[in-house]
Amino acid sequence: MARTIVKAEPDPIDIELDRTAVVMIDMQRDFLLPGGFGEALGNDVSRLNAAVGPCAKLLEAARAKGMLVVHTREGHRPDMTDAPKAKVERGAPTMRIGAEGPMGRILIRGEAGHDIVADLAPKAGEPVVDKPGKGAFYATDLQSILQNKGIENLIVCGVTTEVCVHTTVREANDRGYRCIVPGDCCASYFPEFHDVGLRMIKAQGGIFGWVSDSKRVLEALS
Amino acid sequence: MSATKIGSNQVESSVPRHAAAVPYPWPFDGDLRRQNTALVVIDMQTDFCGKGGYIDLLGYDISLTRACIEPIGRVLSTFRSRGMAVFHTREGHRPDLADLPENKRWRSRRAPSGVGIGDRGPCGRVLVRGEPGWEIIPELAPRSGEAIVDKPGKGSFCATDFELLLRLRGIRNLVLVGITTDVCVHTTMREANDRGFECIVLRDCCAATDPRNHDAALVMVTMQEGVFGAVSDSRALLEALP
Repeated sequence: MARTIVKAEPDPIDIELDRTAVVMIDMQRDFLLPGGFGEALGNDVSRLNAAVGPCAKLLEAARAKGMLVVHTREGHRPDMTDAPKAKVERGAPTMRIGAEGPMGRILIRGEAGHDIVADLAPKAGEPVVDKPGKGAFYATDLQSILQNKGIENLIVCGVTTEVCVHTTVREANDRGYRCIVPGDCCASYFPEFHDVGLRMIKAQGGIFGWVSDSKRVLEALS
Repeated sequence: MSATKIGSNQVESSVPRHAAAVPYPWPFDGDLRRQNTALVVIDMQTDFCGKGGYIDLLGYDISLTRACIEPIGRVLSTFRSRGMAVFHTREGHRPDLADLPENKRWRSRRAPSGVGIGDRGPCGRVLVRGEPGWEIIPELAPRSGEAIVDKPGKGSFCATDFELLLRLRGIRNLVLVGITTDVCVHTTMREANDRGFECIVLRDCCAATDPRNHDAALVMVTMQEGVFGAVSDSRALLEALP
């Protein structure tokens, strides 16, 4: 079984590739593309797009090694019965979940804006997990899939660092998974939150996991 | 005594209301209202009660699991006519089987037919989402507005958004029907009970592949003053339903 060491903070981490999955969080059009929901809210989406290139390289390397790749999408059932009122009623009414946005109904499954950007499109056999919340474990079958595949370690990429990436890393950590977060494969609309989000993961001897970057993960996979 | 508004002009009284059930009149506190009570129709799929489905291929008599279709239909139409919540569940797996445990597949393939979960049978790939055998039977087909919960296991809460849907809709009481009594109905009832939902299972609206298991499973519910909830039948529930 192929083992490798990924250089990371607070320490290098030794992983078996067969037991490691790449989890690509919410790289959806509505968050990333100019003209999408994220930009309509006044965010600078170029910050998020900076992560696409490193993610694509990491995906390519993981696929070449035959590693499990899982993609997540945040979004709701079209009838929104899985959307808490407290979540829906935040923000301007025209920009709420379910409202008609620039690329279909905002954060609704099946709409164009809800799908993953072309550069990081899932390949056949890569599970796509639709999640109603920020964390990828809540109200989803992600843990079942990881268990069935014998996964112990996660390389967590995606957007945004302090929201869905962080929540997922925290959930995974509590469930016993070792998480590696390549910093340049994540991004936030708020650079200060991105930076502090990464620092929080590796603080206290790696309280939530390990922080690395695409260059060092690619080295480990090469 | 308070009153709860429903819709624009109906007022639902909070006078205690119970269905005759064993071992206690259900629900425990008499808080049986249209808004807080849901029907959960479990796994009424061709694979479990149709010709050429999984249970049929396993060699069981599907007339047993089909016997509850008609009573479920009556309960379902009452819930619909009263505007009450209805949920349907389907057991099944992603087409790539990423959510199928290896031991579940291995065991399913030991059937005499050799056709296990994920393999092609007369009704398409067994217990795979999107296949004809996995669909809910036409007699009990979900209507628009009725949530369908796709589950990879026996319980409806494991690896699904079911609890989120129930909480957001304000559901406290669950009326459980479907197949099979001892497997998916029971697992769902146990999961729901541990989460604080008040459950009742209707004996004529569920069935097992072995009638002895059906009977035993219902007795288990009633032990210890209703360890998982209560047992009743469609007639008693419909009489009590607001």
